[in-house]
Amino acid sequence: MRWRWLVLALLLSLLPSGALAHVPEGGASSVMAGLLHPVTGIDHVVAMVAVGLWGAVLGAPAIWLLPVAFPMVMAFGGVLGLLDLPLPGVETGIALSALVLGVLVMLQQRLPLTVAAVLVGLFALLHGYAHGMELPDGADALLFSLAFVGATGLLHLVGIGLGEARRLAWGHRLLQVVGAVIAVVGVWSLVQLGGA
Amino acid sequence: MPLLFAHLMQTGFGGFYDGIAHLFLTPSDLLLVLGLALLAGQQGPQGGRLLLTLLPLSWGIGLAVGQRWGLDLTLALLTTVLFTLVGVLVALSLRLSAQVLAFTVAGSGLLFGLINGFTMPPAPSGLPLDVLGVVSAVAVLSVLISAQVAATRSTGFCIAVRVAGSWIAAAGLLSLGLLFKA
Amino acid sequence: MSRFKLRSWLAIVVFALTLVLPRTLSAHELLPGYLDLHETAAGQYSVLWKVPLQQGKRLPITPRFPEDCQLQGDLDSKLESSAWIYHGSLSCTSSLKGKPIVIDGLAAVGTDVLVRFQPADAVRPETHLLKPVKQTTILGTDVDSEPSGLVAYLRLGIEHILLGVDHLLLLLGLVMIVRDGWMLLKTVTAFTLANSITLSVSAIGIVQVPTAPLNAAIALSILFIGTEVVRFMRGQTSFTLRHPWVLACGFGLLHGFGYARGLAELGLPHHELLLALLLFNVGIEIGQDLFVVLVLALERAFRQLQIRWPLWVRRMPAWTIGCAGAYWTIETTLSLIKGGV
Repeated sequence: MRWRWLVLALLLSLLPSGALAHVPEGGASSVMAGLLHPVTGIDHVVAMVAVGLWGAVLGAPAIWLLPVAFPMVMAFGGVLGLLDLPLPGVETGIALSALVLGVLVMLQQRLPLTVAAVLVGLFALLHGYAHGMELPDGADALLFSLAFVGATGLLHLVGIGLGEARRLAWGHRLLQVVGAVIAVVGVWSLVQLGGA
Repeated sequence: MPLLFAHLMQTGFGGFYDGIAHLFLTPSDLLLVLGLALLAGQQGPQGGRLLLTLLPLSWGIGLAVGQRWGLDLTLALLTTVLFTLVGVLVALSLRLSAQVLAFTVAGSGLLFGLINGFTMPPAPSGLPLDVLGVVSAVAVLSVLISAQVAATRSTGFCIAVRVAGSWIAAAGLLSLGLLFKA
Repeated sequence: MSRFKLRSWLAIVVFALTLVLPRTLSAHELLPGYLDLHETAAGQYSVLWKVPLQQGKRLPITPRFPEDCQLQGDLDSKLESSAWIYHGSLSCTSSLKGKPIVIDGLAAVGTDVLVRFQPADAVRPETHLLKPVKQTTILGTDVDSEPSGLVAYLRLGIEHILLGVDHLLLLLGLVMIVRDGWMLLKTVTAFTLANSITLSVSAIGIVQVPTAPLNAAIALSILFIGTEVVRFMRGQTSFTLRHPWVLACGFGLLHGFGYARGLAELGLPHHELLLALLLFNVGIEIGQDLFVVLVLALERAFRQLQIRWPLWVRRMPAWTIGCAGAYWTIETTLSLIKGGV
């Protein structure tokens, strides 16, 4: 029975993008831009996957609260970024988020739900803000946003999927390795920031 | 929302199918119907029944009035705010009273129908097949989705519905930001 | 008393619908025009132009050739049962490649025109599909880059079924008298196989069916399925209700001839016919299956929402099928008696 709702959810999520595939003139490029935007920065990608991963580690209810709340908080951050409202320490925060989440996943650390929610919410805000600053002009706003949110959500799903592997025998080891890799990317981003 | 999608899409299969295609190629309309269907489904079968009665009706009335007025407006901000709110309601998985749901459904149906109507030229003669197409597509889509949501009670599916709602809301929020910036 | 009142009102409404509905939703007849340009020498083309007839009258569409071309001699024309056919020759100062062909008047008539163009050096002709919204095409353009060519037949197939209200009503009736999934599978398969067979043999020209009796028979089949649905809803039974696949098979054979009419009038050469036929058939099946899935999904959704339709709504589909079938039967039989097309 489990696979049935999963398939349906996937279909539902594909519904708009499927329809958009036929949108003429400029629509397609907006969709592509939106899909690609979240995967352009390695630090963004690993942080998104890490959110899903950590959600899986935390288990219910975090595993579903995060995918519900994250997109909205991120979009809110995006609006802040779009409107050029000041938010300090964004780049450092993003690099830190990968490091922190990576370590948390590696140690399979379970924090209380409120602490976890505040932490992830903060990261969501920072990531959204950073994206918002870089968003291109001239794209079709809604198509771009849809594709953007969809791509982010899929990254979460990848993380959750990876996280579910901990039920397997070698899953713990896998989780530790992935967490370590994410943390290393975070450190690397920090170093890059310091060098620049 | 640029006027790119505003005008009636030509499928070559005649007015009825042009109307159907219009709904499926207009992202904001599609997201609103999707959001409302999820929301109504969350309220159980009676929510779905209410949606099936009110949404096509109000959409059709809006269309008829809009065609008469024929303004060159898309009211992108207003429509985006509306479906964003619906998305938030779905994400929060709120129990709404029947009156609130009815008001939301009828209001947004009227507004979206009106805007559809602005951009659709009145049919030259005979039956307004394109209007019929839009309204049938709205009815079919909303009844199919809301029924599925209302009938499935597994936690996983409920979460998937809430995630879908949050995606709708997030996309709406982001495009609001983009609209403000532009 | 109130029940009686309701009934008489309904009778009036249904009667009115019988008069109005089938006229607006008249059974769709796929009658595309056909223009064939075959290069015989440099700049010389033989022209074949078929104009479909609608209620015995020629559709007001004419091809417009580039400025430097002249139609030579009078167009040798003759009237066939369903189309005017013109033969002629066209002489141009240069090749038609890269030049536009416009079909004048296409927007007003709402039909399609197939344009086939074969330069002298080409192995196979290119096919363009012109529609009311696209009245012009550039000859010699890469056909693969636009959804014309053979894919046009897939489109035509889907279009033929989606606009063929008569075929859709028959399908609706078939779905309504089927009780379970296994029976549905058998019924749909029987219908598909049967109409594929007759579509093929008829389109290739092995079997010729005169149009007027065929129309009458198709109309009668819809009337018949309407009565069967009513019988099914009353809880009665019959041989065809116990074995809907037999009915599906028989009516599939019949409607296959109807589908073939859409193809046969294009006048296709034989080397492309089989592939075109296959694509057309696939298009038809896609359209049919979409419709069946949609009907079933809606039925399921109504059940999930626990909707209790009032009696007259539940009876509506059967009555629509029956009334439309009755109307078409009378109409087609009359034209059969009068000897019309």
